[in-house]
Amino acid sequence: MTDSPDLLPPDLPRIDQTGGWQPLPRRGALLYAAATGLTLGVSIGLGLGVAVSVVFDLERLRTILVVAALVLLAGAAFGVFRHRRIGWKLDADGFATRRGGLWWSETLVPVSRVQHLDLERGPLERRLGLATLVVHTAGTRMAAVKLPLLGFADAERLREHLARQVATDDAL
Amino acid sequence: MSEADTDAIATGTPDQRLHPWSWLFVLLQQLRQFIVPLLVLMFAGRGDHDAWPYAEYAEYAPLAGVLALVVVSMLQYFTYRYRIGAEGISIRSGLLQRNLREIPFTRIHNVGVHQSLLHRLFGVAEVRLESAGGNKPEGQMRVLGLQQALALEQLVRHHGSGAATTTGIAERPDGAAPAGQADGRTLLSMPLGEVVRMGLVSNRGMLVVAAAAGLVAQASPERMMGNWLEQQVRGAAGYAEQLHLGWLGMASAALVLVAVAMAAIRLLSVALALSQYYGFRLIQTQGRLVVERGLFARLRTSVAPRRIQAWYQQETLLHRWFGRRALRIDTATGGGENDPRKLRELAPIATPAACEALFVHLLPGVQWPPAAWQGVPRRCWWRLFASSVPWTVLLVAVLWWHLGPWSLLAALWLPWSAYAAWQQAGRLGYVVDARLLAVRGGWWSRWWRMAELDKVQALQLQRSPLDRLLGTASLWLDTAGAGPLSPPLRIRFLPHAEARALHARLGRVLAARRMRW
Repeated sequence: MTDSPDLLPPDLPRIDQTGGWQPLPRRGALLYAAATGLTLGVSIGLGLGVAVSVVFDLERLRTILVVAALVLLAGAAFGVFRHRRIGWKLDADGFATRRGGLWWSETLVPVSRVQHLDLERGPLERRLGLATLVVHTAGTRMAAVKLPLLGFADAERLREHLARQVATDDAL
Repeated sequence: MSEADTDAIATGTPDQRLHPWSWLFVLLQQLRQFIVPLLVLMFAGRGDHDAWPYAEYAEYAPLAGVLALVVVSMLQYFTYRYRIGAEGISIRSGLLQRNLREIPFTRIHNVGVHQSLLHRLFGVAEVRLESAGGNKPEGQMRVLGLQQALALEQLVRHHGSGAATTTGIAERPDGAAPAGQADGRTLLSMPLGEVVRMGLVSNRGMLVVAAAAGLVAQASPERMMGNWLEQQVRGAAGYAEQLHLGWLGMASAALVLVAVAMAAIRLLSVALALSQYYGFRLIQTQGRLVVERGLFARLRTSVAPRRIQAWYQQETLLHRWFGRRALRIDTATGGGENDPRKLRELAPIATPAACEALFVHLLPGVQWPPAAWQGVPRRCWWRLFASSVPWTVLLVAVLWWHLGPWSLLAALWLPWSAYAAWQQAGRLGYVVDARLLAVRGGWWSRWWRMAELDKVQALQLQRSPLDRLLGTASLWLDTAGAGPLSPPLRIRFLPHAEARALHARLGRVLAARRMRW
């Protein structure tokens, strides 16, 4: 289980001793912001719009649209902020992701606990050269650790590295 | 089952079939699933006959449905075959869509033998072979002859424990004596008194009453339930008025009524505990843990101790009054939280010493009970308290609506919950050593969660805005098969630096160790 350098593919990102957190590529920020904005705009914006139009006795449709649009914009700005905070790290301990500004969390999946891996790519992700890596463990709450909007090349390398580790582990 | 059949399993040559009566049990199972549509058909068939020209035939629809189910069940009996190989079991089923499933012995985590009252009348049993994960058992034999079922269970157990011998079957005591009674060591058995105690402690009766009330409320037409209740209450009130009891008398009558209802619910709990846990025995045999229980329906499940993912000890206030505790485990096999066939309870109720002894017996060499629990700073008590404040405020607000200023009495709960939070904060603690990780908490209702480090699957460090303000963090540890009803394996309110250090330390330890299933 030692992470000897000869096990790694030659082009794998070197482990940075000073922390080693890798950010997501910036080109995914807009996609992430749009997704966050739309989710918030639909779920909160519409309800809030109805509430505002009732409380202040305004014209229904226009108010809802304006409020939803405002929430969408705020959500998108929040999405850009959140996207910047997402990071990942691969080192001797395993694969770690971190996310969140206000509610911050850092998840570590030891390499020996990886069950299997998924690489998912939607049409938009494909166009931007991005991919979503899903690391499955046998756990319950953290049964699937998801890292969206990863650079495709990075995702491939990560998958290869983790899969190879699983294979060498099983061969032991 | 004849002697020839059990011999056939031992040598592992020809295909095996289910018991000839198995179609009946498949049918019953399917009827249970389709009972609602069938009832709808039956009642929809009545009603106005003019609406539809062929409506009179609709009365036969349920019959046709049942007939179809009979045919399906028969087909399943005729198409289901299984074969025991050297490495595992292969099951073939299906008529049009043929299905072949291979289950290696080494992947079988749990063998369950289940006998309901009806099964016992027919001398058959249901066998389930479960591997890790998934919601459905890997293989399900519904149903086998009792001897055949026991032989299969024995065989899988032999293979699972590595001793690939098949000679044990010849030594099986025949007749109705369940396997495991002759060999193995009884780790825990519950005499009648314990089962009754368990019923008194548990709240099963309340759950059943609540579920029944919910069902009746849903099934009965709109307002019928409400009207009926209102009538009853009015009737009772009228009767009480006739008695001229006065204010005090009324209050005491109400109290007596509540007490009687509570006693009845506890009695129901005891009855349920008796039916489910009568004759509970925990046996260790051939390296596996076997649990047998049940008054009418006999149930036997087994699990290898190394498949246990995490442990949970619970001691509620009632437990403590009786001087008892419960010891539960998480396993990675599928099945819902409430699936009675899942082996969840090693000791449904036992003395604290017995629970701890059992734990140490199954994890030899662990330091238990730990020499010292690592506490968290007690000043975090107000965060436990704060989480309960909104509920109290809400309760006061709702009561104010009905009672006015009297509702402020409910606010008296606040000092009490503050005291409880203070006590809880004092009991929060964790222990991490080279092998084991344990978390404890609770004050009135106490709990301990333990897991071997090898069974931890992932780590998470979390910080809410409040955590950042106060310089704390929570560390979550994830294990397989953790049920939603047991407290999570997490260490809260840790000083940030300590949490970081622990996270890093555990990360290094886990990376260096292989996972053992």
